[in-house]
Amino acid sequence: MKAIEVTGVHFTYDDGTEALSGVDFTVSEGEFVAVLGSNGSGKTTLIGLLVGLLKATSGTIRIGEREIGSLSAEELYQRVGLVFQNPNDQLFAATVEEDVAFGPRNLNLPEEEVQARVTEALAAVAALPLRGRAIHHLSFGEQKRVSLAGVMAMRPSVLILDEPTAGLDPAGEAQMLQLMKKLNREEGMTVILATHSVDMLPLFANRIYVLDRGRVLQEGPSEEIFCHQEMIDRAKLRLPYVSRLMYEMKRHDGVPIDGLPLTIGEARVQLLELIPKGLIIPGLEEQKP
Amino acid sequence: MFDLFSDIFTYRDNALTRIDPRAKLVIALAALIAVVTAAGVVLPLFVFGICLGTVTALRIPAKLVAARLAAPLSIVAVLVVIQTFVTGTTTLFAITLAGWQFTAKAEGLRQGALLGVRVLGAVSVVFLLSVVTPAHRIFQALCWFRISRNWLEIAILMYRYIFVLMDRVADLAAAQKLRLGYTARGRAMRSFTALAGATIIHSLEQAKRTHDAMRLRGYRGAMPFGPLPALGRRDRLITALSLVGIASARLLEWGIGG
Repeated sequence: MKAIEVTGVHFTYDDGTEALSGVDFTVSEGEFVAVLGSNGSGKTTLIGLLVGLLKATSGTIRIGEREIGSLSAEELYQRVGLVFQNPNDQLFAATVEEDVAFGPRNLNLPEEEVQARVTEALAAVAALPLRGRAIHHLSFGEQKRVSLAGVMAMRPSVLILDEPTAGLDPAGEAQMLQLMKKLNREEGMTVILATHSVDMLPLFANRIYVLDRGRVLQEGPSEEIFCHQEMIDRAKLRLPYVSRLMYEMKRHDGVPIDGLPLTIGEARVQLLELIPKGLIIPGLEEQKP
Repeated sequence: MFDLFSDIFTYRDNALTRIDPRAKLVIALAALIAVVTAAGVVLPLFVFGICLGTVTALRIPAKLVAARLAAPLSIVAVLVVIQTFVTGTTTLFAITLAGWQFTAKAEGLRQGALLGVRVLGAVSVVFLLSVVTPAHRIFQALCWFRISRNWLEIAILMYRYIFVLMDRVADLAAAQKLRLGYTARGRAMRSFTALAGATIIHSLEQAKRTHDAMRLRGYRGAMPFGPLPALGRRDRLITALSLVGIASARLLEWGIGG
């Protein structure tokens, strides 16, 4: 069943800038979809349309079975949640608990239910110990997780994240992506990720949409997307670093690599096949004291 | 600069932070009324002494105390000087400055000192409240006292975003400084004006984004406030005893002054 269906959507800003021209975009329930595009490609506009902050100039947007315009704000925001790129835009209460409780309280839920949702959402993002802390005392990574909890407390079936790893250190980035993977695989949440960071996408995304200047250049699974080097260049993106290395080795050094590995794991398997067996010491890590 | 707004002490666990914010607000309000309506300097100075002693006992850094009291102390100084030279008839001394003669009067000095210690006493009460109660608990208590929700909403957002804007202003000011924006008076003036303008623009953009985020989580013009538990027996007792103490001190002072 389709969670989101965008058909022939155009959007033009008041100053005449055409941000989206004829975009078709579909996400099924339980999918993890990435929207990949450089700055100015139309990712943020598309997100704005999906959560009702912007209204399409033409075309249709359906959330589940219903046209977005026919949903009340209450209905829409319990179906689709947006995590902003900068947590400061989203964390407006004084403490973590107050902020996460903001949405449920706006739904006029009983206080016990509000508290239960706060606990559940904070636990889901591993932020329960932060419950009583002031927002401005949190680190950037903690703020990111709390802003995610604030949206999850609304229990949306579709979670949209705008550049969720921007500004995070490598450990924070990995933690954030693992968290999203967990929400998607274990909780069955539909996840849409807008990003221009390509390295970890093949590990998580079922499908990728590549946007460029308001149009969908290509759509498909990671292995299909990243084998089109020309299209990737046209979208002002790049291959994951490991794929780039293998691509260069193949192109310049004639290393016989089959296809293009997208993850370190895939690259390792391929390289192991090429290295003479005598040079490989099996189980080296396990032999260390 | 940031120490001035630091609220880290309000999250410490001590006897005062454990008291219900409603009780603390009522006690603070009573102390403020007593100080502001005091007939002599004794009660405001007594309150100032108690607050300062408590703040010291709570190990609040002297630097923070000095930073927070600097502005009111300068107001006190101005008050005393103005009152001394403007009010009264009994001459204390006279000074001549640039051909102008200024005469200090005893009644003015007394009046200025009274106003000054009232300000000091009142500010110290508010300062003590601010280091033992987190802002959001004060807002919750004010909401419980049915203070206008619109006002509280604005106060909460101001409190939250003052830290964000301060960070941004500090970055912008550092960027200006690194490009020699403050090396001459005229240049400094231009840099400061640009900084002020950029801050206003940042505030407007931030407001727009925050409003969008609030809408996406069901905001329809009224921010919800979490409930406070029923006022406990201990808190009721503390409030009653404090009110009796403040009223007695006020009456005693009235008796002494009267």
